[in-house]
This record gives sequence, structure tokens and C-alpha cells, in this order.
Amino acid sequence: MISCRDLTRRFGQFTAVDSISFEVAKGAICAVLGPNGAGTSTTVAMLTGLLAPTSGEATVCGVNVLADPVALKRRIGVLPEDLALFDDLTVEEHLELTGDIYGLGADTTRERMERLLAVLGLAPGRRTFARSCSHGMRKKTAFAMALLPNPEALFLDEPFEAVDPVTSSVMADILRKAAARGVTVFLTSHILPTARRIADQFIIIRGGRIVLNSASSELSRPLEDLYFDLAEAPVSDELEWLGEAR
Amino acid sequence: MSSLARPRAILKWLARATSRHRRTFRITGNNLNYTAVALAFMLDAPAAGILLAIMGVVVLLPLSSDPLNAVPRTRMRIWPLENGERRFLRIVSPWLNPMTWVVVALALWRRVSLGIVLLAAGVLATGFLTSARAGGGRSPWRSIPSFPGALNQLIRKNLREMLSTLDFFCGALISLTALMWRIAGLLPSDALFPLTAITMLAISTCALTLFGLDGEAGLTRYRLLPVRGWQILIAKDAAYLAMALVLALPLSLTGALGAALIALAVGHKASVTPQAQSRWRFQTGPSFGDAIAQIVPMTMAGAAVVYTSRFVLLLCAALWACSLWWFGREIDVAGVSFRQGR
Repeated sequence: MISCRDLTRRFGQFTAVDSISFEVAKGAICAVLGPNGAGTSTTVAMLTGLLAPTSGEATVCGVNVLADPVALKRRIGVLPEDLALFDDLTVEEHLELTGDIYGLGADTTRERMERLLAVLGLAPGRRTFARSCSHGMRKKTAFAMALLPNPEALFLDEPFEAVDPVTSSVMADILRKAAARGVTVFLTSHILPTARRIADQFIIIRGGRIVLNSASSELSRPLEDLYFDLAEAPVSDELEWLGEAR
Repeated sequence: MSSLARPRAILKWLARATSRHRRTFRITGNNLNYTAVALAFMLDAPAAGILLAIMGVVVLLPLSSDPLNAVPRTRMRIWPLENGERRFLRIVSPWLNPMTWVVVALALWRRVSLGIVLLAAGVLATGFLTSARAGGGRSPWRSIPSFPGALNQLIRKNLREMLSTLDFFCGALISLTALMWRIAGLLPSDALFPLTAITMLAISTCALTLFGLDGEAGLTRYRLLPVRGWQILIAKDAAYLAMALVLALPLSLTGALGAALIALAVGHKASVTPQAQSRWRFQTGPSFGDAIAQIVPMTMAGAAVVYTSRFVLLLCAALWACSLWWFGREIDVAGVSFRQGR
């Protein structure tokens, strides 16, 4: 369902993603983990047609990402890093826009919109402009926009960040059920417990390179241990001024 | 810490923030300003003065905002300030706004009538109060009518963006003045097109900066939507034409349509590599050359429609359609990205 080979992205002299190759099966949930700046968001951007790779190739839902971007966009749902919301549209207008653009028809859009607003707790703020929404509401709106057109694959950049525990649980549940019905989910996350709970496959990226690509059932050690060993170990420092008499 | 040390420190940074805020009110890159400069060079100082006066009147309200708004409300609550310090800040901070000093100067200047002083004080107070209430996400343009088709919400969003520029309010001021003159029977027929042209000029910079208010997040969404570049552009153009035609209602509709179509046809080029713009400010075009390349043909097109034949509109529409197709392709290939080094 998602396949890439030698995918590379350079920004001037800096190589953000360095020749990565992997495959994600249909109906799987793949969590891409890595410290800030590791290249996880750049990978999502390349797979969704937001950013052209410097070299390499990628196929999503049988569509070459570079060859036919519009056909690709019709088949995927994306929660991008910056959420991509318009300040001048309300929460429900964003969903209506999605329904219109994906040709869903007014009744289908209305029905799906009401269910998404209810399940994500967005109903009370449905007429709030995006610029006035909390970050959590904005994230939920962008998540709902990704789900509304019934995509074959979902690309979610940090979906669980800045949302409350209940919504996080609801989102994880939605993703698990969607995956069980054949929707492929590709997500990045810094929240390891949630990722461990839902993902079938883990990819850990460090410095733009894949350092681990494993099915969750085949992990040799707990995910946190592997992450600290392979991606980034926590730094400990004594901030000696804390607690000093002022 | 002495009792005034904290407010003084806040005022110091507030003064810097207010000064930066004032600098955002530049008019130099706006087409109406270019037109005023051109008129001044053509030794038509009164006409240039009128255009600059219109811009001045429109900018007064946002310029009169409360300087204390530069401090986020939550930050203000978090800071360890005593009630007396907060009161001190409330009393002193308005004096960081030069408009306060202008009103005081007018009040002290004996040659100015009390009516003018009260008007200036009223504008200042309105600016203060509206800016204090702003930020709650209320939009004056919530109730925008719906448009037919799949691009409905995009057009509404674009219209809300355009209606939150000072360019629109300049156009509205001219249009309302023309309407009142017409109702009073004071508008001669030969003044109809010049007023139409000035109204269209007032909003023409918006056609050079169609994506300027979308922000990086908006441009990302455009890249994610499964639509062609020409559809994205047509949603922008529909909003612009709707605004232009509403403003032209008391004026020459056909002349306005011709001018607006050419403004868009020329403006697409600059719009696909936009500079970021701000709400409640005058829009800033990319360069004097781009402004001239737009102002001259759009005025000529409007004049040709009014003074020669309405069939010129067909030519305008054809040029607009060619531009739409060409720059729509450009969006398909390269997307829309903000210029570097903005």
C-alpha cells in the first residue's frame, strides 16, 4: 500500500531524509518515531505530495507520488504538521469544504460531519473560526478533515500531540477500527505509549536514516528502551539554581 | 524592586512593540498610493491629496488601537503585578499611541473647532474599544452568502480575507460617497467612470496578493486539496469579482467588471509567488513595476468598456481566462509558496 525506495530529501547541504526504503502493508498502522529534526515530518510530506523528493521514488495506493499528485490526493487523508487550516473558515465550514471538494454530496457530508463533530467533541465549537480555536480543536478539525472523504490511506503527523487523553483514546480507537477495515495508517508520534498501543509496525528514524524497521510483534525489547538506545538517549543535567534561596 | 520598576520595564518593551505595530501600517506598496504619487508628479496635487486623505481616514481606526493589547492577556495575568501597578500601566500606556498626542494637540490648538476635536477623540475611543474587544475570534464577516458549486467554502473564505483589508474599506468609502452623491443628484454622469476607476484602483492591490492572507498553513491545504490550479485561482477570482461588483453597484458595473478582470489577469503572475500580508492593513504589491503593469491596462480596459463598446468585456474575459489557464498550470507544477526573504 505504501512503498518507497531510496527516498532522499536535501535542503541545500543538509540531508533531512537520507535514502530510506520501507513498505507498509494494506490495513497496517505504521508509527514513525524519531527525535525532533530526525526527518519524520519530511517523510510524511514527501509521501503525501507536499514536498518533492530530491531522489528516490514512492508509491501510495498504487499511485506514483510524483506522477499523479491529484489522483493521489483523492485517495489519501492527511493531517499535516501545520494542520493546514484556513483562519477564515469555521470548524464545520472546513468539513463542508472537504465534502464539496471530494464530491461527497450534501447529505453524505452532513451525516459524516455530524458524526465526526460528535465523536471528536467538536460539536460545541463547530461555528468557531479556526483562528480562535485552541490547538487541540484545530488538530481535531484537521483530523476530521482527513477522515471525512473515506481515504484508503491516512498520513498523520503527530496526531496525539496537544489533544486531551479522552480524545487521544477516541482517535486511537478510530484508527484501529479503520485499519481493521483495510485503511492503511502512517503516523508520526513522540508519544510512545500511544504509538505502542496501536501500531503494527515501527520505524525509528535518526538523522534522516532508518535505524529500526520492525513489526510490533517482533520487537526484541520494550519500545521505550529501543527508542532511547537507537534514536536519542535522555540527557540529564542538574539545574543548580532551581530551589536556591532567592 | 521599586514599585514602578516593573511597570516601567513593561512600558519600555510596550513602546518597542507599539513602534513595530505602527510600522505595519505602511502604504508605500499600495496601488492607490502609487496612483497618488503619479498624480502628484502630473502636477495634480488636489487629486493626489484626496487619494492620500482617503487612505488616511481609513487607517485612523486601526491606528488608534490600545497599546496594552500588545501584551497577551494571559501573560498580563501571569505577571506578578500589584493592582496599583496595573492601574499605572492602564493610565500611562495610551500615551504610547501617537494618536493620543494628536487628539491632545488638536484640543489645545485654538484654530481647530470643537467638532473636529470630538470627532478625532471619537475615532480614537472607537479604535481603543474595538481593539480591546478584538482577538476573541469574532469576525464581522461571519455571514457571507453561499456560492454555488464545490468551491463555495473556498470563495467564502477568500471573500472574508479580502473584506478584512483596508483596501476594501477605501473602496467602500469611495463607493458610499458616490452613492450619497447619486441619491442627492449631485453626481454628474461624466464623473461616473473616474469614480469607478478609483474604486477599482483602491482594491486592485488585492488582485496582486491573492494568496497573501492564507498563511503557510493555508498554502499547505491548497497543496493537499485534490483540485487543479485553475480551480484554486477561480475561487480567488470569484471572491475578488464579487467584492468589486458590490463596490461598483452605485457606479459603472460594466466598467468595473472590465477593470477587475484585467486587474486579475495581470495580478495572477504576482499572486502565485505571494508576499505574506496582514489583516486590517493596506495590501502591499511586489513592486512599482507590477503596480504600473496592472494599473494602466485595467484603467484602459474599464474606459474602453464604458466609452467604446461593451463588447470589449469579451476581450477582457478572454485575457482573464488565458491568464487563469496559464497560472493555474503554474500552480499545478510548482504550487504556491511565499517568496523567500519576506
